[in-house]
Amino acid sequence: MIKKIIGNKSDSSQVSYNMATKQIRYEALVKALHGDLYRYAYWLCHDKHVAEDLVQETFLRAWRALDSLKDEKAAKSWLITILRRENARRFERKRFDMSEYEEAAITDNLSTSTEQEIENHWLREKIAQLPEEYREPLVLQVLGGFSGEEIANLLSLNKNTVMTRLFRARNQLKDSLDEEPLARGSYNG
Amino acid sequence: MDDLQFRKSIYADPQTSDDAIIEAMNADPTKKKFAQEIETLDAKISQAMQIPVPDDLYNKLILRQTMATHQQKKKKTRIHLALAASVAFAVGLTINFMQVSTAYSNIGDYALAHVNHEAKYFSNNDEAKVTLASLNQKMAAFSGSFEQELGELIAANYCRFDGMKSLHLVFHGKSSPVTVFIIPQNNELEFIANFAENQLKGKSLKYKDANIIVIGDKAESLQQWQDNIEKNVRWSI
Repeated sequence: MIKKIIGNKSDSSQVSYNMATKQIRYEALVKALHGDLYRYAYWLCHDKHVAEDLVQETFLRAWRALDSLKDEKAAKSWLITILRRENARRFERKRFDMSEYEEAAITDNLSTSTEQEIENHWLREKIAQLPEEYREPLVLQVLGGFSGEEIANLLSLNKNTVMTRLFRARNQLKDSLDEEPLARGSYNG
Repeated sequence: MDDLQFRKSIYADPQTSDDAIIEAMNADPTKKKFAQEIETLDAKISQAMQIPVPDDLYNKLILRQTMATHQQKKKKTRIHLALAASVAFAVGLTINFMQVSTAYSNIGDYALAHVNHEAKYFSNNDEAKVTLASLNQKMAAFSGSFEQELGELIAANYCRFDGMKSLHLVFHGKSSPVTVFIIPQNNELEFIANFAENQLKGKSLKYKDANIIVIGDKAESLQQWQDNIEKNVRWSI
């Protein structure tokens, strides 16, 4: 019995040691990846608040399952997988259509912005208007820095499909850029 | 590499490290120009995608996790408390049980103590007044009976043998009374076939539902008593 108590004690100190390590790992993970994850979430749902909620849910789940993350290099794709699942769950919960792009969702203070920001804003709208299946691989490639193969794994698609979608996504953006420089000018007017 | 294929590849991945594409790009200035165009586009896309992250998001995430952990810990404390409570409860039960239960580890010790305790009530000069019939009446409680008298029976009484109802018989012996206990089977006291102390010694017999213990002084032939009991006792099923 005494042995057991002593055993428990060292167990619990082991546990608290593990907890401390886990805490450090977690904080490092949050620090390094919360920005990328937030942006990714934003491009999934076009809503700052929903994106924030998604990131919070994702990291909370990540905390609970942190022991299952063995390879720190895989952390980003791991988190993105959790976030995508979380996002899908959101649609299971409430069935209102979030994929419809809301213009008001992107708020950028135009009156005080520079030329560059205006262009960014304009491009953001174009990106947001891309069909979801084109936008997601593009976000993963440009923001996440994932290769075609990695994106294929994340989205459970084959690589050719991913490459085709990436091609179409950029093609559409290029087309709209080529089409609309005049409209862009009047946008600010 | 034809132009369409090249454009498709560049559109799909402007940062490509595919040797064939890079070679084609270096060989054809038009292709190179196109690749640069798309790279510029990509830089713009990348910049556009870098939407500002809320300043407090990091802190919020840490806070949220800390709260969640805290709650988990609280739950754990409750579990620990419950564990401690059940351990205390078990310890209490054990102590209680040990106090009620005997300090004697086997039937021999208990039987000797019992005999010594009651020694002053019986002497070898007491009149033998219990008949076989009244003995067997008492034996019925143990679903047993004796065929013949085992000896001159001074007393036959139910008594408490370590909390169990048992039959306590006192016979005339050679120099001092011989005590026979019929006790129900139990697991609490260890069975012991032979035991002794300064003046007394004892032998036990184990039956299916009961043990029979004979205790007498050193002059007594307990083996004879035991054989006699063995011969005469009948257990009904």
